[in-house]
Amino acid sequence: MQEQLENLVSEAKEEIARASEPNDILNLKARYLGKKSLLNSLYTKMKDLSKEERPAFGNQLNQIRKQFEDMLTLRSTQIKEQSWQKSRGDMDASMPGYPLSRGSYHPLSIIRRQIDDVFLSMGFEIAEGNDIEDEFHNFDALNTPPDHPSRNLADTFYVEGGDLLRTQTSTVQIRVMENYKPPIRIISPGRCYRNDKPDPSHSPVFHQVEALVVDKNINMSHLQDTLQNFASIMFGEGVKSRIRPHFFPFTEPSAEMDISCVSCRGTGCRICKHSGWLEMGGAGMVDPAVFNTLGIDSEVYTGFAFGLGIERIAMLKYRIPDMRILFENDLRMLRQFRGEL
Amino acid sequence: MKVALSWLKRHLDLSGISDDLADLLTFAGIEVEGISEMPALGSTVIAAKVVSAEPVPKTDHLNLCKVDIGDADYPAKDENNLIQVICGAPNCHAGMMAILALPGTELKEYQIKKAKIRGIESHGMLCSERELGVSEYHGGIIELSEDIPIGVLADELFDFPDTVYDLEITPNRSDLLGYVGICRDLSAKLSRSLMPRKPVSFNVSDAELKLGLHNEARDLCPRYTARIIKGVKIGASPLWLKLALIKSGIRPINNVVDITNYVMLETGHPLHAFDYDKLSPKDDAQGYPDIVVRNAEDNEEFIALDGKIYHLDGSELVIADGKRISALAGVMGSQYSGISEQTVNIVLESAAFHAGTIRRCSYRHKLSTDSSYRFERDLSASFADRISDRATDLIIELAGGTVCGELYDSYPKQETDLILGVRPQRFELLIGYTLPGDKIRDILENLGFSFIQYGDFVPGPIQDIDQIYCHHAEEMKQGITEFSELEDCQHAHYYRVPAFRKDIVREVDMLEELARLAGYDQVPRRVELQHIMDRHAYRVERKATDWLVDWGSYETLNYSFCDPAQMIQLGYQEEDLDFVRLINPQSSNQSVMRISLIPQLLTNMVYNLNHAERDIKLFEMAKTYHPHKKGHIEKKRLSAIFTGKISDDYWQDGGKKIDFFWMKGCFTGLLSVLGISFSSVDCDAPYLIPGESFSYVSEGHLLGSFGRLRPDVLEAWGVDTGSLKQDVWILDFNLEPIIELCRNTSLVYQDIPRLPSVTRDLSFLLAERYGYAEIQQAILALDPDLINGVEVFDEYRSKQIPEGFRSLSLHVILQDQEKTLTDERVDRLMDSVQKTLASKYDITMR
Repeated sequence: MQEQLENLVSEAKEEIARASEPNDILNLKARYLGKKSLLNSLYTKMKDLSKEERPAFGNQLNQIRKQFEDMLTLRSTQIKEQSWQKSRGDMDASMPGYPLSRGSYHPLSIIRRQIDDVFLSMGFEIAEGNDIEDEFHNFDALNTPPDHPSRNLADTFYVEGGDLLRTQTSTVQIRVMENYKPPIRIISPGRCYRNDKPDPSHSPVFHQVEALVVDKNINMSHLQDTLQNFASIMFGEGVKSRIRPHFFPFTEPSAEMDISCVSCRGTGCRICKHSGWLEMGGAGMVDPAVFNTLGIDSEVYTGFAFGLGIERIAMLKYRIPDMRILFENDLRMLRQFRGEL
Repeated sequence: MKVALSWLKRHLDLSGISDDLADLLTFAGIEVEGISEMPALGSTVIAAKVVSAEPVPKTDHLNLCKVDIGDADYPAKDENNLIQVICGAPNCHAGMMAILALPGTELKEYQIKKAKIRGIESHGMLCSERELGVSEYHGGIIELSEDIPIGVLADELFDFPDTVYDLEITPNRSDLLGYVGICRDLSAKLSRSLMPRKPVSFNVSDAELKLGLHNEARDLCPRYTARIIKGVKIGASPLWLKLALIKSGIRPINNVVDITNYVMLETGHPLHAFDYDKLSPKDDAQGYPDIVVRNAEDNEEFIALDGKIYHLDGSELVIADGKRISALAGVMGSQYSGISEQTVNIVLESAAFHAGTIRRCSYRHKLSTDSSYRFERDLSASFADRISDRATDLIIELAGGTVCGELYDSYPKQETDLILGVRPQRFELLIGYTLPGDKIRDILENLGFSFIQYGDFVPGPIQDIDQIYCHHAEEMKQGITEFSELEDCQHAHYYRVPAFRKDIVREVDMLEELARLAGYDQVPRRVELQHIMDRHAYRVERKATDWLVDWGSYETLNYSFCDPAQMIQLGYQEEDLDFVRLINPQSSNQSVMRISLIPQLLTNMVYNLNHAERDIKLFEMAKTYHPHKKGHIEKKRLSAIFTGKISDDYWQDGGKKIDFFWMKGCFTGLLSVLGISFSSVDCDAPYLIPGESFSYVSEGHLLGSFGRLRPDVLEAWGVDTGSLKQDVWILDFNLEPIIELCRNTSLVYQDIPRLPSVTRDLSFLLAERYGYAEIQQAILALDPDLINGVEVFDEYRSKQIPEGFRSLSLHVILQDQEKTLTDERVDRLMDSVQKTLASKYDITMR
């Protein structure tokens, strides 16, 4: 009888494994567990056994029954899952996924957006102005002497009629101060123009962002903080900023702003010419003469301003070796910025 | 502007700070653009006498020299105690004093060794200025004057070691165009006084020689002084003077010209010397020449000292004699009136000119000189006489001669002193910290300002000291009241501005001086931004959600609660689930905080299916909540559910359904654009179908998974899968590791290859058991330098293709950074690609 049982189990295993449709499972269930099944008939044979043998045999039959049930349930699930997968065929899952044709922003716009974010979070507004400006807003109002060389045709583009292409976005600062009373807290990003031939570090068309804060009790310590915030947010927490004395006609005191080298973190390398510092732009406290020209009382109000070159920031941040690359619009360059945040 | 440390030390005690001088200058606002070190040359570089110099046969320029080095040690001296040296310099001649570098000397660019030149032994090198690192000059070897003792060390003669700083002087600071000015700023920075200058000591003789001085352009020439010195002996300058000029970047010419240049470098004020005997009078009968300061005439011609002819347009200021132009004022002298070896009597000019006129002249004629560079920055007229005295003193000392009569001085309008008040309160207001009154006074006095008194503040310059009377002034003078005690009173310190500081005309200009010299590093940082926000995480979250929106997905928002039973329905085992439970849930199906966003997304989808929507793409970015030993933790997740067509219905496309590869592109694309490298593993989500789902990991972090939803899960949500007839896909990002993995990555631009790439196609049959990724990696690994990319562009199966095989078509992109790829090289490489694939993967080429 034991032999008969073993045969039954092995036969059931094979048949259940062969089942391929829900119907097969129903048939096999009837065959192995139904009233007319061999297993069921064996239960009736239990009475032929001695009292001592009966419990063990009963247990064995129950175990086999449970085994059959489990096998059938498992196979039934497998058949169900296989039915879900029927569409799959010979799919090679390692083939590449669909490439959404998503483009990217130009690296200068990416930097510009990052700068916008930094200053917006510090409570600045964004002010834009015209590229074609007059001499007053570009030079006179900024304290540039009448015969200053920067006014030459060799340095500045002029359009017919006497207007010029702004050489810095400080023009926007002047226009804002003409039209709004302090407190003022703006950045002015935009295109600027200088009559330079394109080379690795010059471009006749380039981008700047300037910041201007005018209020009561604004002093150089606010400038220090704003520059440090800018440096660490744009280039990373470890990057430090410093200011050192310089001269600009529209600020007094004037400063140049450096950041610790983004490449070597200040230990000295080729990029920072072994000084550990990178020049970022000009800064300073707004010269009282600028305020006076615009009718703002320089005894009551003080302010700071600074200007940064967006190209320089992009070139430092992304290690772009030549400014001209930024204006070639080569897809092989643009594609590299798809993922930049 | 180049300045040598050795010269700076003549005006200011720089002991103890030489190493930091560059920083000190930079932080005083004098930017150091370059530093060139002149290291000590050592004991083997000495003054030596060339006793004989014979041309080496069959060479056109080499000389065999016998050189006397006196008592200096050297083993290879000949019987006459001389050393044999070969020299190729054109100016090498017998009897000259030169500098010899003996074998063993390490110079900047050379290592001197005993050598054989054309078979002749040479023991060292006679050196040029460039070889010794004194200047770039290489026109011949250094010739010393004969009074230099043989054997004296070059270091001693040249003041080595030395350092030369290349400074950028901002255009407002005309006072910094000389050594004294630089030292004055440093003295204020260091709080050390300038060394006193040597008083002049020349005597004035009778006016044997005279001239007529006519200043006809008083507006453009506020001051013109001329002095006649008779009987000078033109010759070479002494070594110290030559070296001082050379180190500062000016070539020595002769003693008189060198002195004018030396005094210019010292004081920042250019001078000019004319040959008295070359100057003509207006009227020959006068008997002595005239000097006329006037505007040029239109189309007037000027022959500069370099021989070039300039055509003037009348806007230029010129110095003329009675007949013609002797100099373009402040820019350049003329050829005929310059100092030559024959000159005996000179006129020394020390003047001040209108800066704009000089600037325009220099710009128009593209003539930029050391003189114009200084005059166009507006020099004070006040010191013209004293500067003339200083040069005169040196000329008498070094070139002899006697001063003929008093100084001719046209100074029509005396410059008046400016008196300005500065308020310490204003410093604090503008700069942001308190600078004590004694510190203010210390800085300003070192800068040459003189303190006058305290007083009530008056904006702008004042003329009358009584105007600023203040009742506190007396108390303060007596020390009864300190400045700091007078907070409410707008008190000012009044100072007389030195005449050389033409840039200081307002209080704010003085405040800048104070801020600059007290140090910008003293300016505190007023913290307004604490960097509380995790900007990176914020940006990644935005990028990730933007990404899903770009893929056509809509954002959903669901409650943070969920029904624990739904997690079981997703296929999780009850014992594996751990919830943060609410004490007072509104209902039993909102009894816990959610641990997954999927159940509600499913509900959202079903809701929309029930409203006759068929093409559904939804996502949610939210937190899940998990019990933790320290309370609870919250994790950010981004999950999505997609079903139906890829795009909205459009008449031109066939309404393609979302499939596995579209989902894969959506999931892996985000990781790729964030720059995260990742690999796939079997999916761990019980609600996704194995084989049609993947999980992704990177550096041991589970990044999430995507795949097709089990139909039985759908059914549990009440969807009749029989009638739905479309697949439902799930995408689930674990945001936190994704944020961290790209936190410190920075994008670095990769140069665009200069050379074109070559693309070759490859089509072959491949057994189904091999995956594409495996093939791709195998090809890339063959020559990673050359094979730039492998892209699959076609896959198909058909009856023509044997069972168990598919056809794959690939682009293989080849790129060499150095040279253009030849067909032969490409063929060879493609051949090896085919062979490798054939042997490893049993492919059949098509």
